[in-house]
Amino acid sequence: MAQLEIRDLTVDFGGFRAVDGLNLNVEKGELLCLLGPNGAGKSTTLDLICGKTQPTSGKVVFDGATITNLPEFKRARHGVGRKFQIPSVFKRLTVRENLELARSQRPGVWANITRILAKPSEALEKIMETVGLTDQRHVLAENLSHGQTQWLEIAMLLSQDCKLLLMDEPTAGMTASETQRTAAILEKLHGERTIVVVEHDMQFVRKVARRITVLHQGSVLAEGSIKDIESNPEVRSAYLGH
Amino acid sequence: MTSTLRNDFLSIAAFAALIVLAVPLFFGFDGYELNTFARYLCLGMVAMALALSWGTAGILNLGQAAPFGLGAYIMAMHLKLMNSTSMPGGMPDFMGWMNIETLPWFWQPFHSLGFTLLAGLLFPAAMAFAIGAFIFKGRVSGVFVAIITLAVLVAIQLLFVEEQGYTGGQNGLTGLALLTIFGVTIDNYSLNFYYLVAASLLIVTVLATMLSRSKAGLVLRAVREDPNRARFLGYDVSNYEILVFSVSAAIAGFAGMLYTLVLQFASPTYMSVSFSLSIVIWCAVGGRESLIGAAIGAIVVNMLEGRLSDVFVEAWLMVLGVLFIAIVLFLPRGLYGLAVSVLDAMRSQDKARHGTTAKTGEPTRPGESASTSPTASLSAGE
Ligand SMILES: Nc1ncnc2c1ncn2[C@@H]1O[C@H](COP(=O)(O)OP(=O)(O)O)[C@@H](O)[C@H]1O
Ligand SMILES: [Mg+2]
Repeated sequence: MAQLEIRDLTVDFGGFRAVDGLNLNVEKGELLCLLGPNGAGKSTTLDLICGKTQPTSGKVVFDGATITNLPEFKRARHGVGRKFQIPSVFKRLTVRENLELARSQRPGVWANITRILAKPSEALEKIMETVGLTDQRHVLAENLSHGQTQWLEIAMLLSQDCKLLLMDEPTAGMTASETQRTAAILEKLHGERTIVVVEHDMQFVRKVARRITVLHQGSVLAEGSIKDIESNPEVRSAYLGH
Repeated sequence: MTSTLRNDFLSIAAFAALIVLAVPLFFGFDGYELNTFARYLCLGMVAMALALSWGTAGILNLGQAAPFGLGAYIMAMHLKLMNSTSMPGGMPDFMGWMNIETLPWFWQPFHSLGFTLLAGLLFPAAMAFAIGAFIFKGRVSGVFVAIITLAVLVAIQLLFVEEQGYTGGQNGLTGLALLTIFGVTIDNYSLNFYYLVAASLLIVTVLATMLSRSKAGLVLRAVREDPNRARFLGYDVSNYEILVFSVSAAIAGFAGMLYTLVLQFASPTYMSVSFSLSIVIWCAVGGRESLIGAAIGAIVVNMLEGRLSDVFVEAWLMVLGVLFIAIVLFLPRGLYGLAVSVLDAMRSQDKARHGTTAKTGEPTRPGESASTSPTASLSAGE
């Protein structure tokens, strides 16, 4: 059984079906790229998985548990982490502090009042290294570059210990070198965490994607490797218009 | 030790040196002279209490004088009883004037010093807990918190003024005994008394710093910035807000108890709106992001008041108002922020002089002058 299973998922926005009978399986440790023209329903799909939007019908199963109608924070506790297009880090806290906050496995007051933050844990060191922010640990998030902010947010999801990372256009607005570095980060995470990433940058997709699913008008148009997709005539026509 | 912890340590040490050594030295170790300064330290403590909730968690409590006043009255009740033993029924004099027959039940336990000391901390805290639960569970925020806390303050002060038979009304509680603890009577004009107050302030400083440096303190700083995001990370934000609100009230209560010891009376003016707003001003002047900064703000403004109110008499409140506006406009981070900028500027000049290849060491956040500046140390609160 796949770690994430989506069955006949549909959401109806007042007559308009942004996602329409979608079926999707993602294996544990897999990195899936979602492609598709604007308005294809990619962001909405991520919304449905993380709980930002409730579906009209269909089912979302994660790690064997049906999470279709759970509120967002409960899904987060199941290990579903969402990275939004607009980063939501705490700007006036340092990198390290942001990451410590994200480690919220014990969120109670009493557990946290006696905890003094001395040295970062090994796990945290490893996460900072993975995203390349080890040297920025004492920098306020507001002073990070755009790329670093995005990496910090990815690191927060890792620190939160989520098993499934949902990323919506993580490289938007990044410089070429930042995009490359982001690809390298995802490469490192591949196999360790399950990742679903929406991306337009084909260079990036070529680098990271093992499997690609193309959405069109809310359902799956094509699925396969980068080669299959690039040579698929239906995909071409969907992108170029009808 | 991380650099933040080291900075905390250094700044607390510097603050300790200031109030334990420098100040007594300046006053020639004269207990009589130091009594005034002990008063400033109490006000510093209540400013620190406000900085804990306002600076750390962004909760602007305009009623901080309420827990302070409660603490002051609680201590005064004990001292009043100690001075009334020869009166009929052991009753305070003013009760007799109001034709009260017997000592009211809620005065009885204050014969015990242990009870009094606990009550001075826990009663304000419990009250803050109840009000905080109402405010924060109801997700009230921002200016409405300020309005509610101010309203509660006004109500409490009114109660104390109206219930003359039980509280001494407008006159407050006067004619108090000196505090006797473990058989030792403490003279409020003695050097030892000054050290008692200074040590109290230092203990509070250490505990409050530990709270703000704990993970709970980190959560509070996150709440100040974006409560919703903090909720998404799984934190029940209201519990953290109630916690800091209550702890802050307990500290204010402690400060109030000491204040009664310093002045030897408790008055409803301790719970006046103008006094409560003054606390906000001290905090702003010192810099609410820093606990020690806020305390120093209170000390500095009150020293100025001591000097200038003779000159300006009636106009002093206006001077204070103008000072507040000036600080908000020109020094939004207060004296603490000013100190940080100055130290930063000095450091970068230093670097320029010693060539840029000098070791950069651990990267520090901007606005913090590495580990060498004690005053910069609490800046993680920003
Ligand atoms: N809350 C909403 N209400 C109505 N329409 C929506 C809502 N969210 C998204 N849509 C529509 O659904 C379609 C898919 O949107 P989206 O998932 O954002 O596409 P994309 O694949 O570009 O990320 C778009 O036409 C969008 O206008
Ligand atoms: Mg989108």
